[in-house]
Amino acid sequence: MIRNSRKESLIAYALIAPFVAIYGLIFIYPTIDMFILSFQDAPLIGSGDWVGSDNYTRLGRDRRFGTAAWNTAYFVALSVLPGTLVALGIALGVSRLSGRLQALVLALFFLPYILPVSVVFRLWDWTLNFQFGIAMHLFDWVGIDRVPIFKVTAWFMPAVAFVTIWWTCGFSILLFLAGLRAIPQEIYEAAALDNTSRWRTFRRITWPLLWPVTALVLTIQLILQLKIFDQVYLFSQGGRPNDNLVMVYYIFQRAFVNDHGGRAAAIAVVLFFVVIIVSVLNFQLMRFAERRQ
Amino acid sequence: MSGPMTAQTARRFNLAGGAITLVTVICAVIWAFPIYWGIISSLKPEDEVVRPVIELWPETLTFDHYWFALTETQIGSWYLNSIVTALGVTFITVTTSMFAGYAISQLRFPGRTALWWLILASFMVPTQVLIINHFVLMANMGLLNSWAGIILPQLIHPVIIIVYKQFFDQVPRDFREAAVMDNASEWRILFKVYVPMNWGVTTALSIVTFIWAWNAFLWPFLAVTKTEMMTITVGITQVWDAFGVYYARQLSAAVLAGFPVALAYLLFQRRVTQAITLSAGIKG
Amino acid sequence: MAEITLDTVSKSFGAVKVIDDISLTVAAGEFVVFLGPSGSGKSTLLRMIAGLETIDSGRLEIGGRESQNLAPGQRNVAMVFQNYALYPHMSVRENMAFGLRNIRMAPDEITRRVEEAARILEMDALLDRRPAQLSGGQRQRVAIGRAIVKEPAAFLFDEPLSNLDAALRVRTRVELAELHQRMQSTMIYVTHDQTEAMTMADRIVVLNDCRIEQIGTPMEVYTAPATRFVAGFIGSPAMNFLPVQIEGSAAVLADGARVPLTVAPEGAAELGIRPEAVQVVGPDEAVVTGEARVVEHLGDRTLIYAVLPGGAEIIAQDGGRSTVAPGDAVPLRFDTSQLHLFDAAGRALPAA
Repeated sequence: MIRNSRKESLIAYALIAPFVAIYGLIFIYPTIDMFILSFQDAPLIGSGDWVGSDNYTRLGRDRRFGTAAWNTAYFVALSVLPGTLVALGIALGVSRLSGRLQALVLALFFLPYILPVSVVFRLWDWTLNFQFGIAMHLFDWVGIDRVPIFKVTAWFMPAVAFVTIWWTCGFSILLFLAGLRAIPQEIYEAAALDNTSRWRTFRRITWPLLWPVTALVLTIQLILQLKIFDQVYLFSQGGRPNDNLVMVYYIFQRAFVNDHGGRAAAIAVVLFFVVIIVSVLNFQLMRFAERRQ
Repeated sequence: MSGPMTAQTARRFNLAGGAITLVTVICAVIWAFPIYWGIISSLKPEDEVVRPVIELWPETLTFDHYWFALTETQIGSWYLNSIVTALGVTFITVTTSMFAGYAISQLRFPGRTALWWLILASFMVPTQVLIINHFVLMANMGLLNSWAGIILPQLIHPVIIIVYKQFFDQVPRDFREAAVMDNASEWRILFKVYVPMNWGVTTALSIVTFIWAWNAFLWPFLAVTKTEMMTITVGITQVWDAFGVYYARQLSAAVLAGFPVALAYLLFQRRVTQAITLSAGIKG
Repeated sequence: MAEITLDTVSKSFGAVKVIDDISLTVAAGEFVVFLGPSGSGKSTLLRMIAGLETIDSGRLEIGGRESQNLAPGQRNVAMVFQNYALYPHMSVRENMAFGLRNIRMAPDEITRRVEEAARILEMDALLDRRPAQLSGGQRQRVAIGRAIVKEPAAFLFDEPLSNLDAALRVRTRVELAELHQRMQSTMIYVTHDQTEAMTMADRIVVLNDCRIEQIGTPMEVYTAPATRFVAGFIGSPAMNFLPVQIEGSAAVLADGARVPLTVAPEGAAELGIRPEAVQVVGPDEAVVTGEARVVEHLGDRTLIYAVLPGGAEIIAQDGGRSTVAPGDAVPLRFDTSQLHLFDAAGRALPAA
């Protein structure tokens, strides 16, 4: 095609200019700023002295950092794999349905994902309320003593993970459904003609063909849950935030409660690298798996 | 037992299938129950709410709590702030991403590959780690407690550019050539051919961006300290004295906060699910 | 209506030459078909005229105006694409008007032209429909209408019938030929389908391997192919080729059978003869006798796939009620007025 390359470049630059401007201001500049700040002993706002890697070495001795790192890992373990399995189960169930019933059932499972975290918090704070929550009737019925769930450290993370799975599962369900729809119906028909049992059909056909989607869901969930903050913060209100710290929460606490901008930035850099390393590893693993297929 | 499926195994198959269907439906009802329970509780008088029995339908139906939330709290301002900021984020994100996605997909210019890699790389960076520096930046620009301050740091959505690029890539080359033969300028090719041909994806992406922006918590929570500037997701949980320890009032505020996005989802169910699967890199 | 001249035009994609020194003149009002197999460069050549591909060297004139460096829109040609490329979000009317609006034509002139084109193509009733609401044939017409409204110097068609089913293809072919008669405009038409080329063209340009093999009227190309490629590409079933030795005034087949010729240089050559010139005759008239392997009854004629004593395969044609059966010995005679000879390089030798 005859192209006027100078004119074409000018148009292209005009088109990307707004994006690049926003991106530079909101993404690139703050990222660089974060690295610089992490080497300073600075308050949140205002300048500070250059202290080299002090902010990082202090993290090793920091008990709150340890709690935050541990809780984040704990939360990831509680939410990622169970959440993915629950989503897979639901997707398998929903995919059997058809027509309006399927749309309705899918909507019921998906609706929580659409809600703001504040609403999710209010709903579950009410449902699991120590005195009046309807879930406590369930506790009574099963015969467990009632507990103020979000005030007890042992219950806190599992409960938040449970609520998180309820909240974000819809997303994974959608991905699984898309993956299930991509499996050609003829394969199932051939399997049925071969007298394959339901379980074998799942093990030998559905599961292997669905594996790429499963890997994708796991990756997305893993990266998402490493960045958890909202639910933990909201459910900790009036509780024991120091026991329930997660990484982002600790960044928030250091920066906005203790006014330690530099130390907070150091934690942010650590989380930054954790997420990027996990992303890259995942990406490589998936590429490796693809090549093996 | 070999050969074709016997009537007996077929029946057992159907029975098991029916059971799975039933279980799925029951699970769906239980799954959504907390939402129902929250809505129902918000429609009961406060004394009925705290009664220690399970009432699946209010004995006395009341809208008092909603009336209270709408008249006695700042929820009106919060609504306005949420609408303005969510629309702002949606409009700016979708238009800038559409333009950038088009340029990367259709035009050749120095720096194109570098820009594309930057966008792909930024996909991995967690924006949550930037809160400190966003806060400092917005403070220095004097934008805390303002709509612009809430909107700006929420504009990083590389996935929307990626989706747009995919869609523009998929437009057959014939259309571009036909437009060129038709004497259309580059701008007219973009606005009269490529954009209208992809209205569907624009609608879908706009709806989910709006939902994401409406639901945003962390940044609006940090960017605003004045109660009248809060978005609704922040306001209903952070202003303690607004509702007091009245569960039904709190729940009515939550229902009001969730209503617009739930409505958007129910109205545009197919578009929302399409956009969400697209954003994960799967063709919906 | 304008003349189009290509003068020593070339093009490469990287190191690969796709158009090699082509010169060609399309007269005003002429219907020229570029015919060739895929990869022959016929579409590239058309796109170079349209301006969708650059011309690396050489000159292009459209209506006397040097055009090789003009943008596609400025060349005053209109193109009909293989997949029509109708804008799916515009009505038929908007599709046709788009190109005119782009050059800021007065609205009543646009309306006049669109309605005129709709009248010519008999699709007045479809103007407010979207492409998705049209059948394949109707979309095809809209694509042509979009070209007509521009009142261009020339129409370029890039395999426009290949997306239609067989019946519609035949009908549209006739319509296109009629349209050309009525409008008398210059048209260049690219296809790999020899039937389309034979039925519609004033002249056919046969392309192969980035070069022009032959330019001529359909009958010239059919009866006097300039190269072995053209001889083999045009005609269905394809021409028979037999290796021969030319001795004196006869071509000697592998088994020694002699086919009389009038003039020809001595030496090895390839004898080309179309199936319709290989006739089944009585044993005493035969030049050579083959063994029938497959017999295809087509109703009006019968094709006999035979093997000659030397091992060469040949297709012969017999009448519709032929009684030849597989395994039969078939005595064959060659119609000496329809013989072609090709040298080792594939060029036609004066023969017959």
